[in-house]
Amino acid sequence: MTAPETAGTAYGTAHVAARPGARLTAGEVISLAVILLLAAAALVPQLLAPGDPLAISPTEAFQAPSWQHPFGTDESGRDVYTRVVHGAGQSLLIGLAATAIGIGLALVLGTLGAVGGRALDFATTRINEVLFALPGLLLALVFIAIVGPGVTTTTIAVGLSTAPGYARIIRSRILAVRRSGYVEAAVVLGHGPLTILGRHILPNAVAPVFVLATLGVGQAIVWASSLSYLGLGVVPPAAEWGAMLSAGRPYISVAWWLTVFPGLAIVATAASATALGRSLQSRTRQEQS
Amino acid sequence: MLRWVAAKVAGGAFVLWAIATLIFFGLRLIPGDPAQALLGGPGSQASEEALALVRREHGLDLPLAEQYLLAMGRLATGDLGTSYSLRQDVLTLIGEQFWGTLLLTVLSLATAWAIALLLATWATRGSRSGRAVASGLEVVASAVPHFWLASMLILLFSSLLGLLPPVSVEGPSGLVLPVLTLALPLAGFLAQVMRESLADALESPFVLSARARGESETGVRWRHAIRHASLPAISLSGWAFGSLISGAVVVETVFARPGLGRSLLNAVTARDIPMVTGIALVSALAFVLVTIATDAIDRVADPRLRRA
Amino acid sequence: MRRAPRTLTVIGGSALTLSLLAGCAAAAPTSEEPVAGGTLIYATGDAEPSCLDPHVGGNYPQALLATQYIESLVSKNADGDILPWLAESWKESDDGLSWEFTLRDDVSFTDGTPLTADAVAANIAHLKDPQTASSTGYLAVGKIESMTSVDEHTLRIDLSAPDSALLDSFSMPWVGIQSPTALERGQDVNCESPVGTGPFIVEEWTRQQGVRLVRNEDYNSWPGDAAHEGPAWLEAIDWRFIPDAATRYAALQSGEVDVIDNPQPNSLAAATEDGPITAIAAPRPGASNRIELNAGKAPFDDERVREAFIRAAEVNDGIEGLFFGTVARSYSVLSSVEAESLSTPEYFDVDLDAANALLDAAGWTQRDADGYRVKDGQRLVLEFPVSTNQSVPAEQSLFEQIQATTKQAGFQVILEPLDLSSWYGALAAHEYNLVSAPYTKVGPDVLRILYHSDSTVPAPSGYFANLAQLKDPKLDALLTQASETTDATLRAELYEEAQDIVLSGYHVLPLYDQQNHYLHGEDVEGMRALPTVSTPTFFDAWLAR
Repeated sequence: MTAPETAGTAYGTAHVAARPGARLTAGEVISLAVILLLAAAALVPQLLAPGDPLAISPTEAFQAPSWQHPFGTDESGRDVYTRVVHGAGQSLLIGLAATAIGIGLALVLGTLGAVGGRALDFATTRINEVLFALPGLLLALVFIAIVGPGVTTTTIAVGLSTAPGYARIIRSRILAVRRSGYVEAAVVLGHGPLTILGRHILPNAVAPVFVLATLGVGQAIVWASSLSYLGLGVVPPAAEWGAMLSAGRPYISVAWWLTVFPGLAIVATAASATALGRSLQSRTRQEQS
Repeated sequence: MLRWVAAKVAGGAFVLWAIATLIFFGLRLIPGDPAQALLGGPGSQASEEALALVRREHGLDLPLAEQYLLAMGRLATGDLGTSYSLRQDVLTLIGEQFWGTLLLTVLSLATAWAIALLLATWATRGSRSGRAVASGLEVVASAVPHFWLASMLILLFSSLLGLLPPVSVEGPSGLVLPVLTLALPLAGFLAQVMRESLADALESPFVLSARARGESETGVRWRHAIRHASLPAISLSGWAFGSLISGAVVVETVFARPGLGRSLLNAVTARDIPMVTGIALVSALAFVLVTIATDAIDRVADPRLRRA
Repeated sequence: MRRAPRTLTVIGGSALTLSLLAGCAAAAPTSEEPVAGGTLIYATGDAEPSCLDPHVGGNYPQALLATQYIESLVSKNADGDILPWLAESWKESDDGLSWEFTLRDDVSFTDGTPLTADAVAANIAHLKDPQTASSTGYLAVGKIESMTSVDEHTLRIDLSAPDSALLDSFSMPWVGIQSPTALERGQDVNCESPVGTGPFIVEEWTRQQGVRLVRNEDYNSWPGDAAHEGPAWLEAIDWRFIPDAATRYAALQSGEVDVIDNPQPNSLAAATEDGPITAIAAPRPGASNRIELNAGKAPFDDERVREAFIRAAEVNDGIEGLFFGTVARSYSVLSSVEAESLSTPEYFDVDLDAANALLDAAGWTQRDADGYRVKDGQRLVLEFPVSTNQSVPAEQSLFEQIQATTKQAGFQVILEPLDLSSWYGALAAHEYNLVSAPYTKVGPDVLRILYHSDSTVPAPSGYFANLAQLKDPKLDALLTQASETTDATLRAELYEEAQDIVLSGYHVLPLYDQQNHYLHGEDVEGMRALPTVSTPTFFDAWLAR
């Protein structure tokens, strides 16, 4: 699920700037703490979990959470805590890469549509409509049917399916910014069209998209894990949350910890990213009003 | 208005053609012989004669351009072809599966709406801490993967409590868990959108004047604020419908419900070209229709849009 | 070297059920009288067939369903003896090239067509017709050259070479006998509603949902080992497709369904402890589940490297943990169901030092920074395509463990989970060093299909069954001789010698029997697995409720 396209209509045409002095709410503190923890897990996993996420010990399979194994052990006796920590990097990478692909494509489509003249606008709108008409997982599934499953495919597929939403927002933002006073002033001052686009329009049009992208990263992780569950995503024994979840699901009645902990990691990540995105959104909105 | 409708319909037709073309050429790029896939099955080894026969039967021996033109010609007449793996008319198969998915998505959409409305009103009227809890719930609900939620619901309601069946059965009890699985994450999204517009509406001049006229807080809330708060969420219905269809792929697989989503997943793994194309087209068609309908409602409701 | 012990448990004299625990026999005689009526709900985790006629293609999901409505010329009892079924008796000529089958004269298909010699001939012709696109049945009747109806109920079959596996082949559901009138309706219709002589009739097939089977009221062709006579007790069977294993088990627990197949090992273990759910273990015949080592290309063209891999691969702890003690390690290429199975644990001792020494001797002396062995700049890489359709999650986890343990000796195993058609593609292109490919066939003749050098030559479809790429003239001779001899003792000796060549050459790593289990609720009585290919039969089943 991408952030709904209409979320973007909340933006006015004023310059976007976060208000640094505002007090943080409890929700924001929790979200930031989760994100920082994740960043630590992604960058220096050895610090949080010194073990090897792939080390097996078949005789210790299916052990319930204990002091020695805080999240228990999986079907091959691997330590679930170590795997969840080491999985952060992979999951975050997929989330970030998919969002980057989505926004990159959206930038091209949105900018061409807004400033490229009638024909280009027509063409990009049609491309957008086609992408829109195959919502989410459907587009990803069709894409996977063509290219075959795997991490790269999953990432691209998720990125592709988020692109049209971003593209619409970028296009309408650019159109709005173009009509604003300071762009008209720049035109009067005789700046070239590319300078105006690069220096004035794009920075202002794109800023809110990055707020939306915060929302998107969480959803991209959720999606990628769904594809792993359907057997089309990350390949085991790699420590990735979605793959761990689907590997643990058959054992849900005997080893709940295999599904619960990676699931909580996904929910915590996606929820924190969403919460941060939303508070960024409302902060920028307060700034404008 | 007529011109507007004609343009929308032409746009929709273009979308369908583009999807059919993309899938047609895309699926030809994959490694593996479609004739082999047609005869495939665990342990089966088709003979060359059988393969040749299947190729001839399905026109797989013709030049690509000819295959494409034939395929498009058939699609234009509403013939979606015969499923490779199920050996039945695709349109008939989709007809069998369509209603199950439609029922599931419509019920889920309604449930999500009801939950979202409750959450949103609770969040705007409640105390500070109540608001925080409600918005926390929204965020968490919208971040839960469908298949994980489904597993947790089955674990709780079927395995532990024994209240509800874990698979699709006749009657309403079999629908409860699938609908909840689809509705909860969507409700989280809708509630976020609704809460913001509700908060805005409650501050708006007409609500203030209603309060000034001495209307009760409940009256204000239900008569004015909610109606206005719902508008942005209604225009999200097209998007919500799309997200439900993709959620149905997972939910139908987990709960063994017959439907388009599960058929699509099977078709993708079986490389069943006519079936993948057919389901993609039908769901795209449904999406296009829903979008035209919501756009039309918006135009009727808001005259300013007609000039745009 | 010792012969594999038979793990069959014969229960109740006639009903034969393989059971893990002596206490939970499915078909144990009960004091209760069977009750007629009711609908049994069966939930399968196997794929939904694309055609209900098991002649077309011919895979296990088709066999599961077809067992309910199509019957074969012969059957087998729990001891592996051939039983008459639709064929009352048969005679083999002295040269083994000609057989005469006498059919029962009182049997009709459920569309009213009588069972005759011409009907059987039409079935074999149907299997051999390329339009049918048969594979399993096609291979099984491969040696049949011509058929002649001697009289209305006697069929003479002439072979191109003697075939000691002919009766085994005729017992399989993929060679089941269908109404010739029904076959003439064309494949599309016949796939939808095949017509046999079985205790149930296909009433309706709703795609992605299930198949409704109703009782054949005029049924009279039960096999000799059935527990009762007359039509089946059950009025109908509701056959549902529920692909998700956890959901399937939850449905059984909550009583939504009565029987499930392909249970998770942990569900199976829980079932034998709990009271209400009963397990039936029915290992499939033919080959065991094993990993083949591709000797056709480097590095496994060197026997020392093959042996090193097998010495380094620790699987016993994994099998114990992953399968919750529900399966036994196999040391044989054949299923423990096969009397000729040869078990050789002594070839499979795990010994890391020995593995390292063998690899050093084979020239893989260096190790790179990741700990993998290197020779002439090449890493010791083993490609292992895994069919996600055929390997259950526990088995895939076991492969991950093999990946981890053989890494200690310096092997880099690359696991590639693939869908079925990509998996066939990888095999056809020889892009594998290790592979696990199940093969179900009744009788030890499966050895000829799997390890005769003829099977390294790709069939026109590109598939070859000899995935180990074994090309040994001595082995070929043994297998050909065994398939043509009529002397049972000589045949057993030949197969034993052949298996020893395969095992002692370190061509395979046997894991366990092809797992096949059914779980049923407490009110299901009298269900058993047919001893031919271990598919369930519900002729004697009834519901105590």
